[in-house]
Amino acid sequence: MSPHRYEQALLTEQVEVALEELVQASGLMPQEIVELVEYGVFQPVHGSAEAASMSTWRFSARTITLGRRARRLKADFDLNASGLALALTYLERIEELEAELERLRCQMLG
Amino acid sequence: MKYKDYYRILGVERSASEENIKKAYRKLARKYHPDVSKEKDAEEKFKEVSEAYEVLKDADKRKAYDTMGFYQPGQEFRPPPDWEQQFRGAGTQDTEDLDLFELLSGLGLGRGGFRAGGAGGGLRMPGQDYEVTAHLGVEDVARGTELEIPMAVSEVTGNGQLRRTTKTVKVRIPKGATQGQRLRVPGKGGAGHGGAPDGDLYVNIELRPHDLFRVSGHDLYLELPVAPWEAALGAEAQIPTLDGRVSVKVPAGSRAGQKLRVRGKGLPRPGGGEGDLYAVLQIVTPSVLSEREKELYRELQQASSFNPRGHFG
Repeated sequence: MSPHRYEQALLTEQVEVALEELVQASGLMPQEIVELVEYGVFQPVHGSAEAASMSTWRFSARTITLGRRARRLKADFDLNASGLALALTYLERIEELEAELERLRCQMLG
Repeated sequence: MKYKDYYRILGVERSASEENIKKAYRKLARKYHPDVSKEKDAEEKFKEVSEAYEVLKDADKRKAYDTMGFYQPGQEFRPPPDWEQQFRGAGTQDTEDLDLFELLSGLGLGRGGFRAGGAGGGLRMPGQDYEVTAHLGVEDVARGTELEIPMAVSEVTGNGQLRRTTKTVKVRIPKGATQGQRLRVPGKGGAGHGGAPDGDLYVNIELRPHDLFRVSGHDLYLELPVAPWEAALGAEAQIPTLDGRVSVKVPAGSRAGQKLRVRGKGLPRPGGGEGDLYAVLQIVTPSVLSEREKELYRELQQASSFNPRGHFG
């Protein structure tokens, strides 16, 4: 039973986490996260997206959800970095469209 | 213990090659993977498929599984008497309260099943992450709420044996949560072993449909029925919100589908502030008209030069 340094949090855009917590929570290796940042799938919230400044990277807590998905997809489909980046981009896009669809459904009468 | 037919789950022959097992798995994974699939019960099916693959892709586990014999799916069975000797070594626990997969996953982690941390060092193994779905009411997420979540978990006991148990975890859902979000509760997953950290708990938030409000992000939508004369002349309407009624002004000349925004009466946002409430106008006509009402409508029809289809030409 080791003490946990991390706090309970809603995984939303408003909460920020450091690279270390993203690694711990997602199960991805730091190098895999660097690759996903290079592909633009993960975006550090402020500062540079250059790997040289990775020690200062902060991510929105929502990235944890994406990171866990990335780890599952990678393990279950044997994806390489570019395949993974593509799959994640499409899934994000589907989620945006679903949210938009939901918003329009809310406005429908009947 | 209940038998599971891993070959049938993957749809392969018992003699299938490693390559064919892999191919069958990939096909089914693509179909049922919960991250990509919209199939009903995708999560359940994917779990079955990956469990089958986990066992059949590993030559040792596959051999141990095959040596158990073949039964009907769901049939109660016990491994043959010499099975224990051959694959698990002496002095292991009774297999009766174990699931077939748990029994097979325990192989290869050292004789005698799992090794717990602490006593004699042993394997360093972080606790499993748990993922559960909480079904909440719109009012619950508006105020924040506490939940007790019962979870069926497998635990490794002090002497290294696997045991199934139910664990109740208390979770506080903070104000600001909404449909589709996740709450991460560090350290509330499975226990870690050998000094490795405990797993985390992930709570998926699903909102139950509300009688009046529909939810989009942190905004709420409410259907606001108005009479034709209210839409034409304008009106003052009392509408419900999550914290009491408010009055909204329906402007003269309103149209069906038009949205009236009531600022700040949506769900609270996690970073502070609130979403909005939108009243969507619906013009309703009485299904039965009195003679007098009909007369007035006819009079209006005579007097009005309005042509709603003028743009058809």
